[in-house]
Amino acid sequence: MYACLYGPGHGREAMLDLALEFSPYVEQTSEETVLFCIDPLRKLLGSPYQIASDIARAGFERKVQANLAIASNPDTAILLARYGKGVTLVAPGEEQRQLAPLPLAALTADEGMLSILLRWGVKTCEDLAVLPEAGVAERLGPGGLYLRNLALGVIHRPLRIPPATGNFERQVELEHPIALLEPLLFLFSGALTEICSRLRAQARAARLLEANLTLAGKPAYRAALEFPVPVTDQRTMLKLLQLHLERHSPEGQIVGFHLRVEPVEPRRVQGGLFLPATPLPDKLQITLARIAGMVGEENVGSPLRLDTHRPDAFRMGALQLQPDGALVDLPQGDLPQGEVLRLVIRIFRPALEARVRLVELAPKDVRASGVKGAVVRSAGPWKTCGEWWADTAWSREEWDVALDDGGLYRIYQQAQTRDWFVQGVYD
Amino acid sequence: MANSMSALPSDPRWKRAVDLPKAGALEAPSSLQIPALKRFLFNGLKRGSLVEASGAKSSGKTALCVHILARATQNGEVCAVVDLHDSFHPDSAFASGVQLDRLLWVRCKCKPEYTIKTADLLLHAGGFGVVLLDLSGAHAKILNQIPISYWYRFQRAIQDTPTILLICADTPQAKAASRYSFDCQVKSFCWAGQRPFSRLRGIASNVRQRKLASLPPEEPLQISVA
Repeated sequence: MYACLYGPGHGREAMLDLALEFSPYVEQTSEETVLFCIDPLRKLLGSPYQIASDIARAGFERKVQANLAIASNPDTAILLARYGKGVTLVAPGEEQRQLAPLPLAALTADEGMLSILLRWGVKTCEDLAVLPEAGVAERLGPGGLYLRNLALGVIHRPLRIPPATGNFERQVELEHPIALLEPLLFLFSGALTEICSRLRAQARAARLLEANLTLAGKPAYRAALEFPVPVTDQRTMLKLLQLHLERHSPEGQIVGFHLRVEPVEPRRVQGGLFLPATPLPDKLQITLARIAGMVGEENVGSPLRLDTHRPDAFRMGALQLQPDGALVDLPQGDLPQGEVLRLVIRIFRPALEARVRLVELAPKDVRASGVKGAVVRSAGPWKTCGEWWADTAWSREEWDVALDDGGLYRIYQQAQTRDWFVQGVYD
Repeated sequence: MANSMSALPSDPRWKRAVDLPKAGALEAPSSLQIPALKRFLFNGLKRGSLVEASGAKSSGKTALCVHILARATQNGEVCAVVDLHDSFHPDSAFASGVQLDRLLWVRCKCKPEYTIKTADLLLHAGGFGVVLLDLSGAHAKILNQIPISYWYRFQRAIQDTPTILLICADTPQAKAASRYSFDCQVKSFCWAGQRPFSRLRGIASNVRQRKLASLPPEEPLQISVA
């Protein structure tokens, strides 16, 4: 059931407030028309008569002068509110009879359509409703068919509810300054619980949490936490904020704070039945924040290879969990016999400075921190250079050497300085 | 309908029902591709187990660990590398088949306490396929300071989970807490060509499995790394 308020020349805000008092599902159809769903009220208030009575009483108390119509579908309620007087209540199945006396102009403002219907002698909704459906469709197309269904009162559509513009922030001024983290987190907890409940009520999630702390006698402290995946859980946000503040604690007493989250669409992922489990995003974020607190944010992440031939070129990026990502097609059968493991090098970062003795231009003896021995066999030199146009330019000669200490190393000599380094050990 | 059905095979996201893994396959052991390793492990590494790969430098233990990582990431699992000495080489791992976008790399700045704490956090967070704890190159004095109870704690953390904890070190660390323990020993380095035009081809290594009776300990398997 739907109720419609029509109050020409009356305050739109007053009608909206009245509608919102009875239902969260409110459509602002026009400046003078407000439509809302009253189905859930039937359990609370009783029959439609009782609901209409309550709405009329509340409107009287608020001094709202408007027509009220209650019908089983939105468009019938709108038409009867606009062309009725006072309170109109339509029982289900009675729509066509109630709409029958309304003029055709109530249905549409299309002059062309109206002139055609008037030439046919159709003047009221009743006249239009009795026309055969196939004939109307043939002569007037979908527009005519829609008008006929309006006149019959059989169009059911969902309400056009505008997206809510929620207030996802909280400002708190403290009576007494706070210096410790624990009482501050207690206050954060309450504020975040309130914000997250608003987020969940509007089916939203947080992508960014911004905390602005007002410090006594010092510039404001600002922290912005960007979440890799949208979050709706206040405990996750609170823990991440706590870990951030533990790493970057504000210098001064806090006299107020302002929390704000940036709402986005929540993450909706349907995991595959046959896909491997991945870490839970919320839990993983907290774990990574804890690890980053120990080793530093720059030392945690997923390695990204750079588009260059420069040795050991990479950067750290955020780990992106893609449960719906395509799997790599694995070969169904065994690889042929003789397939071998791929040689892997373990890199020394930074490269170890070395002293190398050459005999006939080949390394014969290598000494570096933790690496010492005579060269048993060597291969090289392999000359590499690149990026001469940038600060990252390199030019060097690389050797693979097996030392008598049992290790197999990659060493190189820089072309400009002629210094030797041990880059890594094959393993 | 016919057109849309015919377009499906070209889209790599779609698979026929018969190509999907069977129910329960995800709890199946982590597979290994190298035939020589299959002789050791029959069906691969059992889930929820602690695995050790130890050996001197240039013995091929890192190649073995990276191979296990590669197979897990290719299977769609998210893996982690806890790197004590910041020695992981992303290019080598990529060349070995590791899907780097499914790999979490934690560089522990040569601090063993960070390494152990990080491994503990990751194992308790759950959801990882393989967690590689790389302790290679660590001084024995430092490794001996790690209480043996930590390895049992890790073992309990991954018990009955799909996670495999892989420890790569110069010497065995987990002792009785590990289910598999591979001992890699270099047999020879392989070179191609004659001097001065020779080049490195790889490493021939002997791998001994200490804990399973699939093969007698005196019969190590030879694997090649190239």
